[in-house]
Amino acid sequence: MNHLEYLAAIAFVSLCALGVNLGFRLRILRRWRELFLTQLAIVVIYLTWDTWAIAHKNWFFDTHQIINVDVLPKVPVEELLFFIVVPLTVILSYQALLKLAGWQQDGESQ
Amino acid sequence: MIYSDIALDAVIFAVIADLFILRTQMITRGIYWLTYGLIFPFQLLTNWWLTSKQIVQYSPSQIIGRRLAGAPIEDLLFGFSMILLTLSLWEFFLRRSRKTGPEKGA
Repeated sequence: MNHLEYLAAIAFVSLCALGVNLGFRLRILRRWRELFLTQLAIVVIYLTWDTWAIAHKNWFFDTHQIINVDVLPKVPVEELLFFIVVPLTVILSYQALLKLAGWQQDGESQ
Repeated sequence: MIYSDIALDAVIFAVIADLFILRTQMITRGIYWLTYGLIFPFQLLTNWWLTSKQIVQYSPSQIIGRRLAGAPIEDLLFGFSMILLTLSLWEFFLRRSRKTGPEKGA
């Protein structure tokens, strides 16, 4: 058992996100305000659900495979990172496909 | 099967937000489904990673019990809701910025 198992999965998703951002030259941080607002909303909504679900024992974590740092009652820090990294990857994938397909929406400049 | 119910509610909420609250209509656009199709195999991979190693475990009483790639099928609903809500919010905030004028230096 390895306390870094969950973090390793998150690192893998992060590498995908980084690869997409650099590979497609998306320069996503030019839109940092919109990115921040989107990510903040997702973190608040899904971490609330997560906290409730953990408290009601819908799911639980193997304490041998997480670093055992909680950000909310019984909510491991890995969950917070998950709700940051995964939506970020989703947004980057969407922007990459938009760029790839040349489907620029109204007003979106390169 | 509380997780099943909440996961379904999350999908319904995301669709309502997309269509009527944020009015981004992502689910009517091909690019959304293309993105979902691209993310989907990666979701299965991550699900498999987290569940086959039992990093996260689900109470049998909270789920239907059917599984795909190691994870409860409810996870597909959860994933769909999060992908839709993320892209809907992203589009919403981008459009709002464009309406209030072009950003300096962007």
